[in-house]
Parts: sequence; structure tokens; C-alpha cells
Amino acid sequence: MTNEPAIITHALAKSYGSAEAVRGLNLSVGRNRITAFLGRNGAGKSTTIKMLLGLIRPSSGEGTVLGKQIADPEENREMRRKVAFVAEDKPLYGYMTVEQIIGFARSFYPDWRTDVERTLLRDYELPARRKVAKLSKGMRTKLALLLAFARRPELLILDEPSEGLDPVGIESLLQSLVSQSADGVAVFFSSHQIAEVERVADHVCILEHGRLRLDAPLDLLRERYRRIDLVFASPPPESEFQIPGVETIRTNGRQISLFVSRNVEAVTERARNLNVSCIEVTPVGLREIFLETVKES
Amino acid sequence: MLWYKAWLETRARFLTLLVTVTAVCGFFVYHGLGDMTPNWRLGRDFNRLLFLNQQILVFLWIFGVVLLGMGGIVREKAIGTSSLTLALPVSRTRLMCVRVGIGVVEAIALGLVPWTAVYAISSLEGMPILISQVGLYLLLLIVGGIVYFAAAVLVSSLVSGEYTAPSIAYGAILLPTILSDVYLPLFLNNRRLVTGAFSVDTITFLVSGRLPWLGIAASLSAAGLLLWASITIVQRREF
Repeated sequence: MTNEPAIITHALAKSYGSAEAVRGLNLSVGRNRITAFLGRNGAGKSTTIKMLLGLIRPSSGEGTVLGKQIADPEENREMRRKVAFVAEDKPLYGYMTVEQIIGFARSFYPDWRTDVERTLLRDYELPARRKVAKLSKGMRTKLALLLAFARRPELLILDEPSEGLDPVGIESLLQSLVSQSADGVAVFFSSHQIAEVERVADHVCILEHGRLRLDAPLDLLRERYRRIDLVFASPPPESEFQIPGVETIRTNGRQISLFVSRNVEAVTERARNLNVSCIEVTPVGLREIFLETVKES
Repeated sequence: MLWYKAWLETRARFLTLLVTVTAVCGFFVYHGLGDMTPNWRLGRDFNRLLFLNQQILVFLWIFGVVLLGMGGIVREKAIGTSSLTLALPVSRTRLMCVRVGIGVVEAIALGLVPWTAVYAISSLEGMPILISQVGLYLLLLIVGGIVYFAAAVLVSSLVSGEYTAPSIAYGAILLPTILSDVYLPLFLNNRRLVTGAFSVDTITFLVSGRLPWLGIAASLSAAGLLLWASITIVQRREF
């Protein structure tokens, strides 16, 4: 296994007529880490994942997954041997039974982990002889995850993996993601559940209108991003706080609220120079960072 | 295991068709034999009965192979499983080839089993059929009829609707059949080829070895072309 990123894209773009679903995406997803791929509905997350897997062709730009060109059908096929993908709607063949679909998937992957298969079959309480069509949504999600985890992938791509799972199932999923990452698997997953992302992700990418708006380690975001609330006897104009690192400024009466990605010291210093009466600097969570990032764009 | 998947996908359709077609052909020949006087049995009428059986079989077989040609990755896109199939480490060409392979085997079985049933019923009724006659009817059915299956595969590579695709496929088969009856020379008329009308002796109603090789070549070439077009479309299509 190399240190080369699991996923690299350069100016990757996809258009449907005049609609640009993904625009000039430069992405780098490292190995041995969990990368969360966030964005609102229609931001271009699923389109990006489909391009990576060769389901659709990029309109321009290029990309590699595990060192294989995504636009080359043969290289893409080779790459898919080492990639496990769980799609958003957890598609499974309804006419197969649980054991039939497991047997079917097993036949494509020589490194299939029978021990993982047995453990998850037991832990997820999946009925081996039941038709997939008759499984509940949660069961289908668990089965899709079993098929992904048991194939010993180098890269796990998961689109909304926790959808349909109960809290126990979600907990088990998050533990599995951490455990897969610890085993050296690169995990790349999209989710709308920010709290889950915040618990397991090492790195966060936020996509908005097809563009990458944020790409940073979660620890760095936690360390740098702050909410600064200032109270003035007579509030100065907002332009006074147009300092690099100040992402948003909101004035509400005597109070000014700043969302800052860096230069916290410079901002507080400026506030003091403007005779601020009260300064409150609070750390922000990923949810707020996400909302501010997509609101801003 | 792709073969297994293709089999599971078409199993219900195939077995239903197989039972239905076999039952209809068996019923037709059994009652046809029962209605015959002993004198008729010795004459051309028995062969004519088998020729008529081929006409019925051709009609049902074409109906069946069009249904067997439905499905595939375009239909999977409509029902949502295409991302699972296309994420497997197999090429789209292989997916198509396996699907076509299973379809062809099922199409052969859909001709072979009813004729075997007819052969068995006739033998039990004391009227054994010449194996060569069964073989020729089957040969004409398969080599002449596989183009209908190929047409169905092509339509299913373009249209995803559960009912739209077979409707268009039946239309796409019916129209050229009518047109070829009017415009094409007899040796290129696929309906005459597949029903045995081209090769049957109108006096004895025995199928002769005088096969329309040009028509067979044209039919097989058309089938190959349609399947090649289907594979190319699926290779280029976005899912």
C-alpha cells in the first residue's frame, strides 16, 4: 500500500446540458483516515461518487481512485476490485435471499472475509433464507454494509450509510467505520447527520453547488473556527471587521457576531481598539461550520 | 456468479413461459391426434399437424423470447439496482454477454422442451415422429428466431419501462414482419423461414433439408448486429 491519496481529482466537472452538477473539483482523500463528504441535497456529492466509480463520465477534468484512472473503463474495473460502495438507497437484488446475495458478492472478491461475514450476519441478526425484497429498510442497510465490509476493500465509499438504521445500528456502524480505518481502509462517506460525522471523521470536505468550499482536517477546524460575540455602546460599521479569516459578520443592535476561521487574536484586538464593552469567544461545532459555509456560498 | 444472477432474474418468467408453451403445444398435438381417424394418421395429415404445431410454437416462442430479452442494466437503473451491479469489478460487455448467453439458452429450451413433449405424446399415441423432423423445426426456430430475441435486447437497452419496453419490442418485430411479407423476396422472409413454410414439402408436409441458407445468414447477421448495437449502447450509456 502506498502513501498516495486514495482519491485524487483535478478540475473534475460534470454538466447535464446547461446545468453544472460538479465544477472544477480538486479533491484529495487520504488513506488511513475517515473523510466526510458533506453538502446539501443537490450539491453534487452523489454525482462525484458516480464519476469516481465509472457510472457516469466526467465532462472535463480527471481523477484517480487507488491510482487508477476513473475515466478508463478497464482501469476503473480493476479499481472496483478494491473498492466497496454502498449507495444512498442501498440497492440490493430483491429476488435473491440474504445468503444468495452474500454468495453472489463473495464470488467477485478473492479476499472476502468469511469471519467478518459470519460475525456481521450474527450481529445484524440477518435472516439468511429471507428474500431481500422482504427485509425492512434497516435490515437492507445492514446487509449492504455487510457486503461492503466483508470484501476487504482498500477504499470504502458510503453514501448516507446510516440512513434507515436505528440508534443501535448507527452506533455499530460508526464503530465499524473506525475499526475499518484502523485496519488501513480509506473511508469516504457522505452524510447529512453532522453529529455522526463529528464523532468519527478525521477530515471534512464540504461541497456546495458543485464546488469544494471546505477541505480540512476536523481537528484543525475545531481549533481554528470561533464565534466571536461583541457588544458595543455604539457599534462600529461592519467594515471595521473585514479582516482575513472573518467569514461572516452580523449586526443586531449593539451586538456584532462574527464567524471566524482564523486570526481570532487580530479580531479581538481590533474590537478592543474600538472600545468593545464585552467580548465572548466560543468554539463552534461542525454543524455551525457547515451551515455557515453553505449559507455563505 | 453473473450467470446465476441472470438466471434468478429471468427464472420466474422463463419457467412460466416454458410450462405454458409446452402445455399449449402438447394439448394441441394430443387433441389433434385424438381427432384423427386411423386413415388420416397414416397420411400427410399427421405431418400437417406437426407443421401447424410449429406455427403455434413460433407465435408463442416469439412472444416468450421478447419477454426473456427484457430486463438488464437499463431496467436495473429504473428500479435502482444498477449502481450495485455496475460497482462490481466486471465490465459492462461481460454483463451484457452473460445476459444474452442465458437468454439464448432459455430461448433454445423454450423450443426444445415443447418439441420434446410433442415427440413424447406422439410416441405414446403410437405415432412416433422422425427425430430429423423435430431437429429441423427446432433449427429453423432457433436460427431464424434469435433475431427477435436480439431485437428485444436492443429495445431493453434503450427503454427502461416495465411495459413500454416489451410493447415497443413487439411493435418493432411486428412491423418488419408485415413489411417483409409485402416487400422482401421469399428467401429473405424470416416468418417463412422460422415457421418452416420455406422448407416444407406442400404435398407430404415433411420439412426437407432444403434450407434457406441466405435467409439464415441474413437472420443471424441481423441478430449479431442488433446484439452488438445493444452492447455498444450499454457501454456508452451513463447510469
